Amino acid sequence: MNREMQIIREVNIEAENFYKDAIELGDHAAHVLTRAHRSQMTGLENIADTALKTSDILDYIKRQTTRFSYWQKSFPKPGQPTTSFGERLKDYLEKNLRERRDVLCSDKRLGISDKTYEDRYLRLHVYLLLIRQFIRQMVVQYEYRVTFPEDKKGA
Amino acid sequence: MPTPEQLRKLRYLSDTVLYAEAVTFIRRLVNDEDCSTLPASQVMGLLNIANASSYAELESFIKHQRERNWPASKSSIKTFYTELEKVFSAMRKRITGEFELVEPGANGKAANQETEEVMVLLARDFIQHLIAENGLLAVEKAQERARRR
Repeated sequence: MNREMQIIREVNIEAENFYKDAIELGDHAAHVLTRAHRSQMTGLENIADTALKTSDILDYIKRQTTRFSYWQKSFPKPGQPTTSFGERLKDYLEKNLRERRDVLCSDKRLGISDKTYEDRYLRLHVYLLLIRQFIRQMVVQYEYRVTFPEDKKGA
Repeated sequence: MPTPEQLRKLRYLSDTVLYAEAVTFIRRLVNDEDCSTLPASQVMGLLNIANASSYAELESFIKHQRERNWPASKSSIKTFYTELEKVFSAMRKRITGEFELVEPGANGKAANQETEEVMVLLARDFIQHLIAENGLLAVEKAQERARRR
């Protein structure tokens, strides 16, 4: 299996592991953005799919959090953190996914060190793929939740 | 014009070095040095200049803003541009050293132009990152004020 295929395979395996977190963030997004601000999610997905730098995605999240009060709202559900949607998403991408990238690039998985620039670029590429996967999953859950709100389930 | 390899390295540096340094820069000014966050008019002005100009023009804008006779209520703006000038002055030296973006020892018009072209791209990304963080800080400060009321 070539290197790119190995990376895609490992990123997909990791996506299974963070699926639950993407669901939670997707539910949070549905609660604060509602169907009325759907373009916020499609805009984020577009940025994530086209960005060449992870910092462009993080800066976009910061800008939207600054501009729109709904990005600043927390999720009043038991067991959920009290942080705003924007901050929670940014922190997850910056901390959790970066740690997952490190595990993925370790010798036990992809074995991508950070000794050469080529390896460092590859590590960033893996990080970008993880962010794209996470945002994709989160946006799908957002779409699902605004279509089928939790409190109406089974009605 | 920067080569594809230089652009690749610039992207890497933006994600791994500039982003963290820009966040630290603006947070230090606001949290440790008691500066206000940068107002919207300055944000727009700086972004417009950074995205549309050469490095020489951006440098001249920063110098002009630093030298302006700001009223006491806007002294934070003077501090901001003074500190930004220092960061960019140091960053220029890092282009041939730490960043390995331009061959050290290269002289002449072409080498200077290459340094200018790389420098404006570094400066743009640094400014983009610090302005994004500045917005978040402004929201945090407004929320703190609202909680105290």
